[in-house]
Amino acid sequence: MTHTVIDKSRRNDRLAEVLIRIGGILVIVSVVWILVMISRVALPLFYPPSATVVATVKLPTSISAGKALAVGAEENQRGAFILDETGTFHFLKVADGTLSASIKAPVTPEGATRVVSAEYVGKSAYNLLWDNGAISSVAVALSSTKDADGKASLSHDVTPQESLSFAASSGIVQSFARPVEGKGTVRIDRLAGDRLRITYQLVEKDLLGNEKRNNAICEINDALPGKLTAIAVDAKGHYLYAGTDTGMLLRWDVSEPGQPHLLESMPASDDRQAITSLALLLGDVSVAVGDAGGKLTTWFPVKVAGSGEDRRLTRIHTLRPNSGGVASIIPSPRDKTLFSGDGREIHVDHTTSERNLLTIKSANPIIQAALSPKGNTFSALDANGALTVWKMDIPHPEISFGTLFGKVWYEGYDKPEYAWQSSAANDDFEPKLSLVPLVFGTIKATLFAMLFAVPLALLAALYTSQFMSPKLKGVVKPVIEIMAAIPSVVIGFLAGLWLAPLIDKSVLTIFLSLVIVPLLMVFTLFFWKRIKTASPLQRATRGHEFIAMVPVVLLGIYLAFLLGGLAEFQLFAGDFKQWLFSTLGVRYDQRNSIIIAIALGFAVIPIIFTIAEDAISNVPRNLTAASLALGASRWQTAWRVVLPSALPGVFTAIMIGFGRAIGETMIVLMATGNTPILSWSLFNGLRSLSANIAVEIPEAPFNSSLYRVLFLSAVLLFIFTFIINTVAEAMRQKFRKKYGRY
Amino acid sequence: MNKFWKTGEPYVLLTGTALAVMLVLTLTLVGVVMTNGLGYFWPRALLKFDLKDGTSALGQVMVKEKNPISGVSRLQLKVANRDVFGQDFRWIDEKDIASRSLPTDAMLIERREHGNYFGFLKGVTAEGLAQSASPQETLQQAMKLVAGKMEDTRAIKKQMSNLNHTVERLRLKLLKLEYGGKEKNSAEISELTAVREKTMAEFTRLNEQATAAQAEIGRITGQFTDVTGGSKDIALMEIVALQRPNSMSFLAKCGAYLERVRELLLDDPRESNTEGGLFPAIFGTVMMVLLMSIFSLPFGVVAAIYLREYAKDGLMTRMVRIAVNNLAGVPSIVYGVFGLGFFVYGIGGSMDSLFFPERLPTPTFGTGGILWSSLTLALLTVPVVIVATEESLASIPKGIREGSLALGATRFQTLTRILLPMATPGIMTGLILSMARAAGEVAPLMIVGVVKLAPTLPFDTNFPFFHMDRKFMHLGFHIYDVGFQSPNVEAAKPMVYVTTMLLLAIVVAASSAAIYLRNRMRRKYTSSTF
Repeated sequence: MTHTVIDKSRRNDRLAEVLIRIGGILVIVSVVWILVMISRVALPLFYPPSATVVATVKLPTSISAGKALAVGAEENQRGAFILDETGTFHFLKVADGTLSASIKAPVTPEGATRVVSAEYVGKSAYNLLWDNGAISSVAVALSSTKDADGKASLSHDVTPQESLSFAASSGIVQSFARPVEGKGTVRIDRLAGDRLRITYQLVEKDLLGNEKRNNAICEINDALPGKLTAIAVDAKGHYLYAGTDTGMLLRWDVSEPGQPHLLESMPASDDRQAITSLALLLGDVSVAVGDAGGKLTTWFPVKVAGSGEDRRLTRIHTLRPNSGGVASIIPSPRDKTLFSGDGREIHVDHTTSERNLLTIKSANPIIQAALSPKGNTFSALDANGALTVWKMDIPHPEISFGTLFGKVWYEGYDKPEYAWQSSAANDDFEPKLSLVPLVFGTIKATLFAMLFAVPLALLAALYTSQFMSPKLKGVVKPVIEIMAAIPSVVIGFLAGLWLAPLIDKSVLTIFLSLVIVPLLMVFTLFFWKRIKTASPLQRATRGHEFIAMVPVVLLGIYLAFLLGGLAEFQLFAGDFKQWLFSTLGVRYDQRNSIIIAIALGFAVIPIIFTIAEDAISNVPRNLTAASLALGASRWQTAWRVVLPSALPGVFTAIMIGFGRAIGETMIVLMATGNTPILSWSLFNGLRSLSANIAVEIPEAPFNSSLYRVLFLSAVLLFIFTFIINTVAEAMRQKFRKKYGRY
Repeated sequence: MNKFWKTGEPYVLLTGTALAVMLVLTLTLVGVVMTNGLGYFWPRALLKFDLKDGTSALGQVMVKEKNPISGVSRLQLKVANRDVFGQDFRWIDEKDIASRSLPTDAMLIERREHGNYFGFLKGVTAEGLAQSASPQETLQQAMKLVAGKMEDTRAIKKQMSNLNHTVERLRLKLLKLEYGGKEKNSAEISELTAVREKTMAEFTRLNEQATAAQAEIGRITGQFTDVTGGSKDIALMEIVALQRPNSMSFLAKCGAYLERVRELLLDDPRESNTEGGLFPAIFGTVMMVLLMSIFSLPFGVVAAIYLREYAKDGLMTRMVRIAVNNLAGVPSIVYGVFGLGFFVYGIGGSMDSLFFPERLPTPTFGTGGILWSSLTLALLTVPVVIVATEESLASIPKGIREGSLALGATRFQTLTRILLPMATPGIMTGLILSMARAAGEVAPLMIVGVVKLAPTLPFDTNFPFFHMDRKFMHLGFHIYDVGFQSPNVEAAKPMVYVTTMLLLAIVVAASSAAIYLRNRMRRKYTSSTF
C-alpha cells in the first residue's frame, strides 16, 4: 500500500470525524434553535412601548397658538394641521414647519363670525361650534406621499359634512352634535347657568319619499348635585354623561326625543374631588373619568346584584394617577388606550390591561393635542406656539402578564374573568387572550387521560414482562407497537364521530362498566380458583390468562350497556342528560372529557406500556430467580422485588406519557368541542393549548398580538415538555447506569 | 382460599385484565374502521319500502337500531336524491312498514354533483342514436357515445391547461422584466406581450370549442323517475357510474367493488372531497414523506453514528441524548409553529424578497408548501431514525469493530465498510418508522402547507417538474377536514372511514415491516444471555 492511499484514508477519516461530530452537535443546535425561533416571535409582546419625537416646530407667525382650536397630524408624521378660530385649517410640513396650505371651512353658517370650539368626533371629522351658536361639521383629509427622491409632499382637503348642521342659538357654553341612526340629528347643549338642553331634528320620510322635519326641544330638569364640570355624549347620541364639582357622575338616557331621563347619579370617588374630564372609549360603552386630584378611572354599566336586569355604571379600572388634575382625556381610535394629562405630563395607559404604557413630558403646558386616526401619531401644541409630533410605537398594549394569566374585567362582562375569545364579527371588538382557560384545558385533558391510561398501561406492562409466556410476548408486543403507530388523527376521528355519539346514546354504560367489569372479574376469579386445582389446565393457562379475560371484558361492557339503558329508564326517567341538567345543573356536551380521557388515554397507553415494559424487563433476571428460589410466588416476586427495582423506569414511562398527552393536538381538537371554559365537569368539553394553536393560527394575522400569543403558548408547551422530558431522561440514564445495560 | 389470595394470583389476573382491555380497545378501533371502510364500496341492495301511510321509499339500509326503552326498532335509510328530497338519509320506524320489495330495475346513479340518485329509467334522449328495444340497452349505448365524446373534450382541456401554464409563465416573465426596470414599451416586453395575447386568444378559442362540445354532450340525457313518481332529467355526462344492484350477480358486485377501489386510488375527489377518489391526497402524502426522508435520514444517521461511535461518554453525549429525547417529546404542534415562523415566514419570506421580488406581495415560498412541510416533519422524525440507527449499531458485537481496526482500517473505513452495511436493516427500520409517523402526522402540516383541495399536484410535466412551493393534500388532513369541516358530515362519513382505513393500512403495514425487520436483526446479533 502506498503512502498516498494511507494519507488519503487518514485524511478522509479526520474529515469524516469532524463532519460526524458536527452532525451530532447539530441535534442540540436544532433543539435550541426551535426554542430561540419561537421565543423570538413571542418576545415582542413584552417589549416596552415607545414614543419618539419626530419634530418640534415653531408655528408660523401668522397663526396664533392661543387661538388654535384643534391640532392633528397624519400617519407618517410628515404633515400636521391647526384649526384656528376663523375656521381655517392650516396645513404644515412637520419637518420644517412651513405652511403648506390654509383652507377655510367650506360652510360658514349665517351670521357666524368665528369658531368658539371644535369637537373631534372621530374619522377625521370635527364639529365646529360658532359664536352665534350654530354648528357645522367638516372632515379633514391629510395624507403624505414620498417621491423617489425622498421628498415628502402633502395632499389635503377639507370637506363639509352637510348632514350634520344646526342653526344659530343663544347662550350656549358647550355643545355636542350627533347623527342619530334612522331619526335625524341631535344636539346637546350646555347653556349658561348649568342648564342642559337637547334638541332633536327629526327627519321622517313618508312612503312617497317626502321628508318631514320637525324639532323636539327639551331641557333636563333633574336637580344637579353640584356645578357641571364635564360632559360627554356617545357617538350615537344615546347617553349623556356629566360630572360635577362635587365629584358626582351622572348618566342620562337621551335616546327618546323629548324624553330624557336620569339613569343614575353616583359619587365617582370616595374623596369627592371635582370631575374635570370625561371621555368615551372606543366602542362607546366605557367612559373614562378624570378628576381634579389626578385620579383616572373607567366605568361601564354592569349587572349589579339586586338590580334585576338593569345595568348600573360601575367603576371597573383604576389607572395610574396623574400628579396634577386630569385636564383632558384623549381615547385612542384603535384600542382601549387612553391619553390623559394636565398639560405638562401626559400618561398613556391601556384601560383593560391597566398597563402604564408611557409618560410623555412637555416643557411648556400643552393646550391642544390629538391622535391620528390610526392612533400611531400624537401631536400637541404648547402655549409657546411650538408644535410637537410624536411617533407612537405601542405594538401590543393589551398584552401584559396580568391579562395573559390573571382575571381581567372586560367590557360587557359582569365580573373579572379568565377569558379566551380571539375574534368576533364587530370592528370595535376587544380580543380576550387569557391563557388560563387553555392551560386549564390542557391540564384537565392530560389528567383525565392519565387516570385512564396509567393503571391500564402499567398493569399490562407488568403482566407482559413478568407473567406472560415468552412466545405470546413476541406477538403482543408488536401489536402494542402498532397501536403506538396509529395516527392520532385516526383516534381523534373515531373518538369524535364514532365514540362520542355512541356514548351520547348511553352515558351510563361508561360508569356501569367501571363497576361491572371488576365485578365480573371477581366472579371469574372464583371460577378460576376452582379450575386451578386441575393441574394440566393450570399449566396450559399459565402465561395466557389474559386471553380468558378478553371475553370477560367484552361481556362486562355489553352487560353495562344493557343495564345502562335499563337504569336510565328506571332511575332517570329515560333521559340521564336531562336529569343531569335539571337536578345537578350540569350541562352535557356530546364531545366531553370522558371521550377525551378514553381517546387521549388510548394514544398514550402504548408509550407508557413500552417504556415501562422495557424498564421492568431490564431488571436483572438473577433478582427474580433469587426471589422465586426463596419461595416467593410469581406475584410476590413481581410486586415486591421487580417493581421496586424498576420504579425509576416506570416513573420515566409515566412522565413521557404525560409529556405526550400535554402536547397532543389532533385528538383534543377533534374529540372536544374546543370551548375554552374553566370547569372540572366530566361532561363538558375543553380547549387545550395545542388545539388552540391549531384552531387559531391559520386565522391570525402575521405579527399581530394573537399571532404572538399563540407563539407564546408554543413556547410554554415547549418548556413544559422540555422539563418533563429532561427529568425523565435523566432518570432513565441513572436507571441504566444502575443496571449497566445499554 | 387464603393461600390463593396470599400468593397474589388475583392480582395476576387483574394485570391480565388490563392487558385484555388494551387489546380490546385496539381491536375495536381497527374493527370499527375496517367494517365501516370495507363495506362502503359493496353495492348494497336498493330496498323499496311501502309504508302504511301510502307513501314509499327506495334506499339502502344503513343502520338498524332498537330503542332500548320503547323497544321500537327503526331503520336508517339512505334515500339519496339530495337535490329532490333535500336530505340523503331518513329514519323509518319498522312498525310503519307495510311491505318491502327488491325492484330489479331500481338504479343507483352516481352523479358528479348532488350525490347519488336512486330511481328507475324511463327513457333516453340522444340525437342520432337508434333507440334499441329496451331503454337499458339504449342507455348503455348512449353512455358509450358520451364517453367517446368526453374523450375528445378531454384532449381539448389538456391543451387548454398547457396554454394556461404558458400564459402564467409569460406573466411571471413579464413581471420580472418590468421589475427589472425594463421600459413598458421596450421590444422585449412588447414581443412577450404579443405572444401572451396570442396564447390567450388561442385559449379563448379552445375554451369556446370546449364549451360548445360540452353543451352538445349535455343534450344527451336520460329520463328517470324516483320512487315518489317525480321525474328527473340527468345529463349522461354528469353520471359517473350506473348500477342496478338488485339484479347484479355476486361476480358483478365484486367487479363493481374493484372498480370503486380503482376510482378511490386513482381519481380526483368530487363534491368537496366527500366523494370520488383520493389520488391527490395519496400522492401528496407519499411525495411529502419521500421528500422528508431525504432530509431526515442523513441527519439522523450521522447523529446516531456520532452518539454511538465517535462521542466519548461525557457531558456532551448526555446533552445530545437529552436533545434527542426532547426532539422526540416536543409536541408536534410546536414544530408546526416553528415551521411557520422559521421556514415559511423566515426563510420563505427572505427567499421571496431575494429571488421573486417581482411577484410580491403574492408569496411564492413565503407561504406554506410541500418543501416546508417536509422540512418540518424531517425535524420531527429525526429522533426516530437516531434511536433506531443507534440501536442497530449497538447490537453489532464489539469484536467486529475491533477486528476491523486491528487490521489497520481507519475508523471511517470501519464505519462505511463494516458497520453501516451491517446496520442497514436497523436504519431501514428507523426510516420506515419515521415515514409511518410522518404519514400520520397532521397537526404541524395544517400550519405549514396542507390544504383541503389543491388545484395542482406538486409534481407535473411542466418545468421544473417538482414544484416545491405548491401546497398539497394529505390523507390525515383529509380525514380531519372531511369529517369535521364539511357541511354534511353524515353523508361524508363513509368517505372518512375509507380514508381512515387507507391511512391506517399504510401506517400499520409500514410499522409491521419495520418491526419485523428490527426483530429479525435483533435475533441475528443478540447472543443469548442468561
